[in-house]
Amino acid sequence: MEISLIQSFQSEWIKKKRSLASWLVSVGGFFIPAILLIGRFYNFDGIAEVNAADNAWESLYSRCWQFMGLFLLPMGVILASSLITQIEFRNNSWKQLHASPLRFSTIFCSKLLVLLLMLLQFFVLFNAGVYLLGTIPALFFSSIPFPKQAFNASLLMKQNIPYLIACLPVVALQYLISLQFRNFLIPIGFGLGLLVASLIALNWKYGYTVPYSYCAYAFLGKKILSNPMVNTNYWALGYFIGIIVLAFVLYVNKRERG
Amino acid sequence: MSVLAVLKQGCTGRFLQIVRPVLQAKQGGISNRIRKMASGRYFYCTNLLTMFCVSTENLSYRFTPNEIALQQLNLRVPQGAIYGFLGANGAGKTTTLRLLLGLLRRQQGEIEIFGQDFYRHRIEILRRIGSLIETPSIYGQLSAEENLLVWQKIYQCPRGRINEVLKLVDLAHTGKKRAGSFSLGMKQRLSIAIALLHQPSLLILDEPTNGLDPNGIIEMRELLRKLNVKNGISIVISSHLLPEIEKLVTDVGIIHKGRMLFQGSLEELISRQRQFSSVVIEVNQPEQCRQILLSQHIEARIEKNRVMIPVLPRQSIARINAQLVQEGIDVYEISTEKNDLESVFIELVK
Repeated sequence: MEISLIQSFQSEWIKKKRSLASWLVSVGGFFIPAILLIGRFYNFDGIAEVNAADNAWESLYSRCWQFMGLFLLPMGVILASSLITQIEFRNNSWKQLHASPLRFSTIFCSKLLVLLLMLLQFFVLFNAGVYLLGTIPALFFSSIPFPKQAFNASLLMKQNIPYLIACLPVVALQYLISLQFRNFLIPIGFGLGLLVASLIALNWKYGYTVPYSYCAYAFLGKKILSNPMVNTNYWALGYFIGIIVLAFVLYVNKRERG
Repeated sequence: MSVLAVLKQGCTGRFLQIVRPVLQAKQGGISNRIRKMASGRYFYCTNLLTMFCVSTENLSYRFTPNEIALQQLNLRVPQGAIYGFLGANGAGKTTTLRLLLGLLRRQQGEIEIFGQDFYRHRIEILRRIGSLIETPSIYGQLSAEENLLVWQKIYQCPRGRINEVLKLVDLAHTGKKRAGSFSLGMKQRLSIAIALLHQPSLLILDEPTNGLDPNGIIEMRELLRKLNVKNGISIVISSHLLPEIEKLVTDVGIIHKGRMLFQGSLEELISRQRQFSSVVIEVNQPEQCRQILLSQHIEARIEKNRVMIPVLPRQSIARINAQLVQEGIDVYEISTEKNDLESVFIELVK
């Protein structure tokens, strides 16, 4: 099982080469840091002050997540997850894949693994972008100091883990829908619709039950939750596991396989 | 007397050639294959015991309760055959092939491939099958080589096979060109390369000549024949283009509205073909001509002012011609009609 999962994963990884989803991940990771870098140079006088502050990285991360966390990150995840899963529909290749000597569980897991690794890839690129956002001005101008705060593992964990967990239900639900429908507009439309609904429902008493709301909660913090006892990370992980199990059952029991 | 001894009796060399390795491998016991031979899963054909590479038992499938796609289909593909699976659009060819590959969930009936139950040994069986179902399945953003690399990872065949199959289907020159910009013929050839990559024992091809130009069709036919003869690959090829199949296959199955109308060797089909063919005699007095023929116990009828008789030996035709002329009838033309497989097919599905 493990050997065939590795083989299948390698095969899936090749398929995403030059795909729109892989471009989206690469460009999307650097997009906001690049825009903010231009903005920093535009407001050149403030750069030194921000970098000299004790919470330099936190301030830079906060500015990045402000644009990313509420809308762009879940939207990017919706697009990338749907695009990757739809590769087989678009190329008419489900039938070839299902006629290959792979268990359905192997196919399901290897595709999911690709999605999760691409999500991780996005976070790596995003963090690299934030790092460059803080250091590039100091590299080019001697008057600007490097950020005072240490760029270490605890900072990375604090800044990334909540968003990473918040993305998991989005990945799972988009994966489920994209596996079921040939028409690309269905998962995209569903995803964007649910994202907008979740933003509208943020102030609702039970807003935390909407699976696409956790990126926004990760950015806005507990202050917006009606019930501060609610742990959105648990909700997100619960949704992820539940939806993935459902997606697997639906996928394995499909009547037609391409 | 043991089952092996019974089987050996009366069997010719071809059977022993097939069975001997099995006997050697299973010394001291009766292998599953032999058991199945004894239980009647094999049939006698021109005194040879033939083994089936693919067999189905009462395979039925419905898309909806009212839409019956297959009814009690008993497909028999002999080992080493090029089996032409014929039928009009919507006859059930693709549904059958999809069931053979596990692309549709089984509803009723059994499928055995390489002597094993498909549903119990799906992975082992699929490892030995190459397939092309309808439209090409290729990743448009990847090159031909990258497309093959996707499948090389799954089948774990040697990397060198990629160049071998690319050369075989004449796509070695495509380099980094994306497969999405290939012509339909090139895409079809790439799909064939994918199907051949892992050196399968059985090829299942659903209308593989779709979109190919006449040269491409001839090349594909030659390639398939070569694979069958040199590599011993059994091939199931579906088509609605009867002349195309006629030039390639050794065995034929004709399906119509989900039912198998004919199944057997090409020779058997050709003998049916003779039955459905007629000799057409165009004369100035058809009725008088018919009476003369009937008086000689030749079944004659008039259709569209032409006299139709069954196919007869050439000498008999010459004799009839001479007699008609002698009786003062002007003979304009004597020809054979309905002498292709198309007509056999039409007669069978009537």
